[in-house]
Amino acid sequence: MAKRKVLGCSLNLIIIISIVFLILIVVSFIGGSVGALITGGEPLSIFAVQPPHPQLAAEHPFPNLPITNTMITAWISILVVFGLFFAATRRMKLVPRGLQNFVEFIYEAGANFIEDAAGKKHGRWFFPVCVTIFLFVLANAWINLIPGFETIKMNGEPLLRNANTDVNVPLMLAVVAFISIEYWGFKAKGAPYLETFFNFKPLGSGLKQLFTGKIKAGFAGIFTGIIVAFAGILEILSHFIRMVSFTFRLFGNMTAGAILTLIMIFLIPWVVPAIFYGLEAFFGFVQAMIFGGLTLGFACAAVMAEE
Amino acid sequence: MEGLGLDLPTFVGQLVSFLILLGLLVYVGYKPIRKMLDERANRIKESMEQAEATKQEYEQAKVAVQEQIGKAREEGQAIISQAAQIGDRLKEEARGEARKEAQALVERARGELERERDKVIDDLRHEFVDTAILAAEKVINETLDKERHRKLIEQAMEESTTFKEN
Repeated sequence: MAKRKVLGCSLNLIIIISIVFLILIVVSFIGGSVGALITGGEPLSIFAVQPPHPQLAAEHPFPNLPITNTMITAWISILVVFGLFFAATRRMKLVPRGLQNFVEFIYEAGANFIEDAAGKKHGRWFFPVCVTIFLFVLANAWINLIPGFETIKMNGEPLLRNANTDVNVPLMLAVVAFISIEYWGFKAKGAPYLETFFNFKPLGSGLKQLFTGKIKAGFAGIFTGIIVAFAGILEILSHFIRMVSFTFRLFGNMTAGAILTLIMIFLIPWVVPAIFYGLEAFFGFVQAMIFGGLTLGFACAAVMAEE
Repeated sequence: MEGLGLDLPTFVGQLVSFLILLGLLVYVGYKPIRKMLDERANRIKESMEQAEATKQEYEQAKVAVQEQIGKAREEGQAIISQAAQIGDRLKEEARGEARKEAQALVERARGELERERDKVIDDLRHEFVDTAILAAEKVINETLDKERHRKLIEQAMEESTTFKEN
């Protein structure tokens, strides 16, 4: 008689593991800070977790240096990403192995994604910025998931903190994306790109018609001209608002994720936070994808020939 | 803005860090990988083209070999038939020659025979004449009558050994 199997283990084992986890959850909840508040006693020392004190501004672990903890983390991310590529491309072989295979996979995945959207010529322009943004955001998000990462204290402040939760980092990336997009648009179309924002041609031709005596056509022309000029102003606005939305999408998601994980650790110290760790890993990837992908999308829109 | 942590030095620092990462990745990562991928693509293309060319060459060679075999077969056939013809001709020639030779032999033999015959006739005639002369001498020596004459000639004839033998 064959035993039933679930997830590759026998059913009995799964049941035992579930029961153990359930006990751990209940015990950690009752023994933790929340349980202590409910029962009125003291929390057990191993479960005693401080409630999170979210602070949006990055901390300065070294009082005398203008270096924030997010900056240190950003540097670590940079070192990791750079180290990965450096190690992989130092002795490249025609037949790839190991690390080289891995970075080539990253490269090809990115290149395919970008060239599908933007075509071969523009894809080669967009590739470095979009992929670097993706890798940087991803590295920041995932390095933060190393257990104990944010618990290292220096002069009473955490030494390391997810760089994506420092508003300066998303803003910086948004600015980079913004400048790159405008540059590509200008590069692809030249001066006519500016007409996206400042288009007074219809207005001018309307005025001309008015002065040459075609009153009706002139007024209609002026009307369209004003609308077109206004649309240009809206376009300018949208480009700047885009930057803000870029910034706060990443910042908000990452900060919320960090706070959520801390809260879960505070509420139920054992087992349950692991789920949120997994979610955070997924959200980090998603946010990196969104940031890089949106940069790509807006870049495509900027270089696209207007029909 | 204060609570959010927006801060120009941090912003600039992060920007510089990011740009450094971008530059490093372009020169250490993207460009070498691009080059490698292009090279690999080229290499694969080349080898596939080469394989295609080799295959074509093989096909061509196969056809050429087939052709050559066919040609060789034809040639062989031609040679064989030619040889047969030559053989026939030779046989014919040999036969002709043999016939000619035989004819010549026969001719010669016939000539010889005729000559021999002539000689014999000649000799015979000489002998006959000699005998006749002899007989005449005898006749002249003994004056003869007709009867006697005949007897003498016959006697002479009988005496001549040659006539007896013949």
